[in-house]
Amino acid sequence: MDRSLTAAPGYVEAAPAPLSLAEVARARRRRRVLITGYLYLLPAAILTGIFVYWPLVASGILSFYEWNLVSPAWVSVGWQNYLELFWSRAFWLAVINTGKAAGALTLFTVLIPLVLAVLVLRASPRLQTICRVVLFSPAVISMAIACAIWLWMYHPLYGVLNSTLRLVGIEGPRWLSSGDWAIWGIINVTVWKTLGFNFVVFLAGLLAIPREMQEAARVDGASEWRVFRHVTWPILAPTTLFVFLTTFILAPQNLFVPTQILTHGGPNEASNNLGYLVYQLGFEYFRAGYASAAAMVIFLIFLGLTFLQFTLAERRVHYGG
Amino acid sequence: MRRQLAKWMIAVLPVLAAGLAVLPAPGFAASPLTIEYWHINSPTFGGPALKELVTRFEAKHPDIKVIEKFQPGVYTGLMQQLQVALAAKRPPAVAQIGYNLLAYAAGQFPHVTLDKYRQSDPAFFKGIPDNIMVLGQFGGVQHGIPFGVSTPVMYYNADLFKAAGLNPDQPPQTWDEVQRMGQAIKQKTGKFAIYLQQPNDDWMEQTLVWGSGGRPLSEDGKRVGWDAPQATEAFQMWQDMANKTKLAANMTWEEGIQAFLSGHVAMCITTIGRQEHMRKNANNFQVRTAPVPRFGTKPLATATGGNALLIFANDPAQEKAAWEWIKYLLSPEGATIWTKGTGYLPPRAETATDPKYLKPFFDENPLMQAALATFPYAKPWVSFPGPRGLEVTKIFIKAREEILEGKRPAEAILRDTAQQANALLPK
Repeated sequence: MDRSLTAAPGYVEAAPAPLSLAEVARARRRRRVLITGYLYLLPAAILTGIFVYWPLVASGILSFYEWNLVSPAWVSVGWQNYLELFWSRAFWLAVINTGKAAGALTLFTVLIPLVLAVLVLRASPRLQTICRVVLFSPAVISMAIACAIWLWMYHPLYGVLNSTLRLVGIEGPRWLSSGDWAIWGIINVTVWKTLGFNFVVFLAGLLAIPREMQEAARVDGASEWRVFRHVTWPILAPTTLFVFLTTFILAPQNLFVPTQILTHGGPNEASNNLGYLVYQLGFEYFRAGYASAAAMVIFLIFLGLTFLQFTLAERRVHYGG
Repeated sequence: MRRQLAKWMIAVLPVLAAGLAVLPAPGFAASPLTIEYWHINSPTFGGPALKELVTRFEAKHPDIKVIEKFQPGVYTGLMQQLQVALAAKRPPAVAQIGYNLLAYAAGQFPHVTLDKYRQSDPAFFKGIPDNIMVLGQFGGVQHGIPFGVSTPVMYYNADLFKAAGLNPDQPPQTWDEVQRMGQAIKQKTGKFAIYLQQPNDDWMEQTLVWGSGGRPLSEDGKRVGWDAPQATEAFQMWQDMANKTKLAANMTWEEGIQAFLSGHVAMCITTIGRQEHMRKNANNFQVRTAPVPRFGTKPLATATGGNALLIFANDPAQEKAAWEWIKYLLSPEGATIWTKGTGYLPPRAETATDPKYLKPFFDENPLMQAALATFPYAKPWVSFPGPRGLEVTKIFIKAREEILEGKRPAEAILRDTAQQANALLPK
């Protein structure tokens, strides 16, 4: 918490004695500084207000109406949109799939990049550079192009995945058109795309740790694991929290492009997820009210989860240094 | 501070002045009437042909200027943009509406119906066959003029036919023959016999329903027809080919087309609109086309793809110009440029056989012959009515996906999904 913000009102209250001229001038200057500060905030506040908070409010209002984006009439339907959502199979499948994706992404794009970063730091500088380039390159490719590449890698007959599996005698699945596999096909692309970015963030976090702390622990006879557990890991905690939160919050959004390009949420909703569902309801079925209801529910779910993570994580994270 | 402001003014003023200079000066010359035309013709799909059409039209009508605007995301993408434009009361004068979205657009969007032009312009309507004109109708009203007309055809790999000991000059004409010849192909070459297109639309499914002798939607528009016994048989056959006999490849659209082009599938049913792509990319084999297989002795019947032109202009002068533009696009000259540039069939049947227009093109492109043979049997690609019609289409797509998964028999899936769909149709 930034203390200067809480201190400002306290200053005014704690002034019972008659003010000297100098004090009045100082107070005036402070007020001017405060107003200037808010003026600087204003452009950003207006833009966020118009493009973030107003749509949020509008979406909330719209969720109680049936509207096709064109008709001049908004038909008020009360909680009907929400009820329909909770009874729909597509919604619950999307919730389950988004949960799977969030779980898998947290596991694969937080844990694995961390392990990789720790390992790569031990390699020779030349190997480090190669690893960095190789692992980071998917992050700079546009998602649409990445999907086009994976489309061919996933080809059930002669894609590189199934061809390789066939070499060891396994008949690979239909990655995109099988109900059991489609969501994993989507998750896999997203993992591949985000892994490199998180890896580089971890690497930067690890490089920022003062060497002498680890050296001191080693001199005191700590094993490599204990050095990691008691020195590296606590100092790295803010980085880990950042990676974890961004991955978790962005996961449902990152699923959208691969879903749109690779499966359209199919077969039979098997790869549908919350981000894609809202698009489908709003812009395939043109039911703006229903889509808004879904968007509100998703917003509340993620608001709750993020709040929970923040309160739990804040307790354990040490912003040292 | 002030000096800086002055510098800014000096920098900004010329830009403003330049902006004013390019604005049209009022009252000098009668500027041509401008109409907007929204389309889905990307540079690789008819874009250049469209530019040529605009140039030629403007030369003939100096008083009208056509601004053609490409809309990404195919017909659904265009509909999304159209929603926004209509909400802002600034719609394009003319837009291409996919047949699969026609009922939705006709029912939900303000537009100009076209029956009145039958009286004022009878010559225009002559020469467009009834089975094509009906593609632009909904509820007995002419909402749009059919412009893009495409039929599904069966592409096949002549070399795989030979390798399986079959005669490539005699491709299968019925589904029974597909399965019989398919067995030979599978046994002799180890390849898949057939791929039926599986994109995110219900064109193939409606083709199967029409071909089996059914209707995708009842005449009164209150019930879907995909749970009828003959349709159920057709879908059971597809499920068996995908799961039991393994004759049919079950994969996404892009995968299926690639599998055919790389010689892993012997037959592939998709749109004639892909003929150029197929011809250019077939990997070391001769690609040919045949009409979609029939069900026994039942007549050929296929759903028709493409789009109708709808007028959204909201003032009479714009509407008049829009109608002129539509008339030009469907004129023999317009249709010739259009067909050559896209592979769509010309709505006027006689243009195709006229040596002055498209006969040379069809003679040079033997792949087009199957589409031309299918033309008289073209049925509407039904757009389901009512505000929930688009969801009905999606239910049908999901039914196909579940059928091909093979976990439940087709009959149960079609019955359940038809029930869901009927509840969404207007009563």
